[in-house]
Amino acid sequence: MRSGSLAWPLLLAATACGGGLQPEPICGASLIGVCGTIRFRGTIPDSTDNVFVAAYASFPLTCTELIANRQPFIPGSVSYTDSVADYSVALQPRTYAWVLAVWKKVGTLTLTPADTALLRVAGYYRNPADSTQPGVVTVPDGSAASDIDFRVEFDSLRPATDFVTCTAR
Amino acid sequence: MHRALATLVCIGASIAPLGWVAAQGVLRGTVRSASGTSISGAMVGIAGSTLYTQTDGDGRYRLSAVPSGEIRLRAAAIGYSPAATVVTLAGGDSATADFTLEPSPLELTPVDVVSTKLPQFGDHPATSVAQVSPDEIDRRAVNTIDEAVDKEPGIQFLNGQINIRGSTGYVQGLNSRVLFLVDGVPMNQGDRGGINWDLVPVDHIERADILKGAGSSLYGSAALGGVVNVTTRDVPAGLHARVRLTGGIFTDPPHPVWGFRDKPGLQGGGDGMISYGTEIFGASVTGGARHSDGYREHDSQNHWQMAAKSRWQTSPKTRVDVSGAWADDRYDTPLSWCTQGECDDMGQAYQPFKVDTGGRAPWTHSRKGYVAAQARTVVSERFAWHARASWFRTDFFDQRRDTSEFGISNRFGAEVRVEAHPDSTRSVLVGGEATFSDVTSDVFQNHSQSEYSAYAEVEQPLSRLARGSARLKAGARIDFLAVDGGSLTAVVSPRLGGSFPVGSHGAAVRASVGRGFRAPSLAERFVDLVAPEFGLRVVPNPGLRPETAWSFELGGRSAPSLGIMRVDGALFWTEARDLIEPTLIVTPGGPVIQLQNVAEARIAGVDATLLAAIDRLTTSLSYTYLHTQRRVPGSANAPLAYRPGHQVKLSADYSLGRANLGADFRHASRPERIELEGFVDPRRVPMNVLDLRAQWTRGPLELRLLLANALNYVYNLVPQTLAPVRTTTLTAVWSH
Repeated sequence: MRSGSLAWPLLLAATACGGGLQPEPICGASLIGVCGTIRFRGTIPDSTDNVFVAAYASFPLTCTELIANRQPFIPGSVSYTDSVADYSVALQPRTYAWVLAVWKKVGTLTLTPADTALLRVAGYYRNPADSTQPGVVTVPDGSAASDIDFRVEFDSLRPATDFVTCTAR
Repeated sequence: MHRALATLVCIGASIAPLGWVAAQGVLRGTVRSASGTSISGAMVGIAGSTLYTQTDGDGRYRLSAVPSGEIRLRAAAIGYSPAATVVTLAGGDSATADFTLEPSPLELTPVDVVSTKLPQFGDHPATSVAQVSPDEIDRRAVNTIDEAVDKEPGIQFLNGQINIRGSTGYVQGLNSRVLFLVDGVPMNQGDRGGINWDLVPVDHIERADILKGAGSSLYGSAALGGVVNVTTRDVPAGLHARVRLTGGIFTDPPHPVWGFRDKPGLQGGGDGMISYGTEIFGASVTGGARHSDGYREHDSQNHWQMAAKSRWQTSPKTRVDVSGAWADDRYDTPLSWCTQGECDDMGQAYQPFKVDTGGRAPWTHSRKGYVAAQARTVVSERFAWHARASWFRTDFFDQRRDTSEFGISNRFGAEVRVEAHPDSTRSVLVGGEATFSDVTSDVFQNHSQSEYSAYAEVEQPLSRLARGSARLKAGARIDFLAVDGGSLTAVVSPRLGGSFPVGSHGAAVRASVGRGFRAPSLAERFVDLVAPEFGLRVVPNPGLRPETAWSFELGGRSAPSLGIMRVDGALFWTEARDLIEPTLIVTPGGPVIQLQNVAEARIAGVDATLLAAIDRLTTSLSYTYLHTQRRVPGSANAPLAYRPGHQVKLSADYSLGRANLGADFRHASRPERIELEGFVDPRRVPMNVLDLRAQWTRGPLELRLLLANALNYVYNLVPQTLAPVRTTTLTAVWSH
C-alpha cells in the first residue's frame, strides 16, 4: 500500500517532466546530418513525383554505385512547390563528396540501376571556391552541417549518364 | 505417472459403470458476492473430477449427472476468495447449493482454464498466468479486448501485436508468437498468423486468461511466447437484453505546429444484445457498429460486427456449444507519418499527425469471421471427452496509391481430447488436433499448410517429495507440419512444471521448463510485394523452418502480508533458435528483403507484481525487466528489436458505493533497437501513459467515463506510427 502511494507521484512526476515526441525544426539541434535551403527555378514537370536530397561519401563511378552507395538508401522528400524550401537529411558523421537533389518521375523505384530511368540530377551543392565542382561536406559527430544551400533547375534536369557510366564495371 | 496412464486405459475400457449411471442427480444454485450481486463466469465443480461448469450472466449454474452421496462442491471467481460446501444428493433427485464469495483483490488465479486446458480451482499454476476479470473489462470501458489485456503486467502491444515478456517484437503483422483462443478455439489468421482483436465484440466477452510462457506442449504452434484465451459470456436462463452506447472525442495535437484539422475528431458506436435461455437450451445474438474519425490525418474507421452463441444440453451428460462472429472493417491506412517534404511540413523535420502524400490514398477493407462447435460429454465423474471443430475466415483488400493487394484465407481446425481423473488428486489429458490453412492472394499466392498433432499431459501430487498440495505436471506434444501437401516436418514440445505450496497461507513456489515452437506463417514463406514503408521488394522464402525455444521459469507468490499486500514474481529465461527476421540481402537485381531463420536469441528477465488493498482502495504495481540478446553469425550481438528493457504498470481503484474511480499508468523505456534501422525514421521515445476512469451504476444503468492518455503524452511504439493521443470516452450500458 505504501509502495503504491509513493509510486504514483513519482511516476506522474516522471511523466510530467517530459520525454515524448516534440516539434523539431528541419534544421533542428538534434539533427545529425546536413541541412540548408534549396531554391527552385524553372517549370515543374507534370510527371514529377518528388524531389529528394542524397549524399555520397565518394563520387559514384557507375550506375550500380549511384544506386547502392546512396545515403540515405531510402531518401525522404523535399517540398518543391514553393520557390524556396528548407531541407535536412540525417546522415552518419563523415565526409561526403557529393550532396545533390534528385528529381523523381512518377513510378516505383526498384532500388536497382534500372531506377536511373526515373531519376534525374536536379542540382548539387557546389564548392564555394570553384562552383563548377561539387562541394565537400563534413558531418561532425553529434551535430549537423548547416547552410548546405544549392539550386534546383527544373528546366535542366540531367540524366545519370552525364555523371556516371551505366554499364557493369 | 505410469499408474495414471494405466488407469486412463482401464477407465476408457469400462467407460461408464452401470451403477454410477443409476445413481445420479442434479446440482444447481447461484454464485453471488457478499453484496448480493450475481457473479457471472464463476467456476463451480467438484475438484479433481470431470464435473464442473461456469455460472451464466445471472450467476446461476447447473451440474447434471452428479453421482449421489456427499458432494464437496467448490466455487471460484476472479477477484473473490474461493469457497467450498458439502451437499448431500440422492440418486434421481436434485439439490441446491448457493455460494456467497467474499471479494478478495489479493486472490491470485483463484480459477484458471488456460494453463492446463482443465479448470484449476485455486491450485497454483506451474507457469505465470494473468487474468482480466469481467469487472476489469467493464471498468476500463474498452472497445476491444486488447485494450484491457494491455494493462496486465509484462504485456505490451505494439501496433496491435501482443508481446508477452518481449516474445514477438514487431513484425508488420506477418506473424505472432502468441496464440489467440476464443473459448479454447485457436483464432490466429490462416495466412499471416496474426490476431484480430476485434473479432469478438467486447460486450460478448466474459474474461481473458493469459499464459505468460511457452504453451506449445498443449497448444502447439504460435504458443511459443504465450497464450491468450478469451472466454465469451454464457447464455443465461430467461430473457435478457443489453444495449451499450459509446461516444468520444480526440484531443487536438499539443503543439499548434502539428495541427491538421479545424474540428476535433469524434468516435462513437452502439451494440445491442438479446438472449433467451432455459436450463436445456439458450441462444444470444449481438450486433453493433462504431465509427471513428481517428486521431491522425487519414485515420477514419468504420466497424460493423455480429456475434451469436448457443448452448444445448442434449442429455444430462452432453453439452453442445455453437458460436460465431463476423466483423467488417473499412479503415483508412495511415502507413507512416509525414517527414519533411512529404506533406505541408510547416518547416518541421516530421509531422507525426500527418501522413505522407504516398500514404494518403490507401485504405483497407477487412472482413473476418468464425464459426465453432464444441461438444463435451461427461461419461463419468472420472472420464469425459471433448470435441471441437472450427472455421475461421479472413478476407482483406488493401488499396495502395499505385496498386492493390488482397488475401482470402481459411483456417479449419478440429480437436478431440479425453480427460481422466484416476482419483481426486490426479488427472490425465490426451488429445489430438488437426489444422488446415489456405490462402488465395496476389501477394502470398495460393498455398496451404496442414498441422497434425497429438498431446498428453499428466498432473499428480508430489506427496513423497513435498507436504501439502505440491503438484507435478508433465506433458508433451508432437506436431507434424506440411506445406502444400509436401513432406512432413515433426516438432516435439515437452514441458515439465510444478507448484509447491509454502506454508498454509497461500504462498507458493512454481517452476517450469518447456520447449515451444512456431511454424512460419504462409505469409512469411510466400510474401512477394514492395513494402511501402521501405520501398523495397520483399521476396518469398519457401524453405523457412519453424522457430523453436526452450523456456524456463522460476516464480513464486507470497502469502498476504498484514492482510493488505501480496507479491507475485518470476524469473524467466528463453533461449530461442531459428528466429525469423526480415533480412536485407543484395541480389544481382538489387537489394531485397527476405524473411530468414537468422537469429538465435536470449530473452531473460524479471516480472514482479505487488498487490495492495485496504478498505476501498486496491492498487497493483508491476515491474518487468527484459534483457535480450540477438546472436547472428557474422554480426555483433545486439538487443532484440522493439523490446523495451523496463516496463512499469500501476493501477489503482477506489470504490465509492455505486461509483468507482480508477487510474492506470504504463511506462516502457525506449527500445534500444528497431528493425531495418537506417531505412525508417528512427525517432522513438519512452512510453508514459496515464488513463483515468470513473464508473457509476444504478439499477440496470451503468455509466463509464474513460480519459485515455490523460496527459496527452505524444509517443510512438513503432517507426513513423503515432500512438493514440488523449481520448475522452463516455459509455452507457443498459441491461435487462
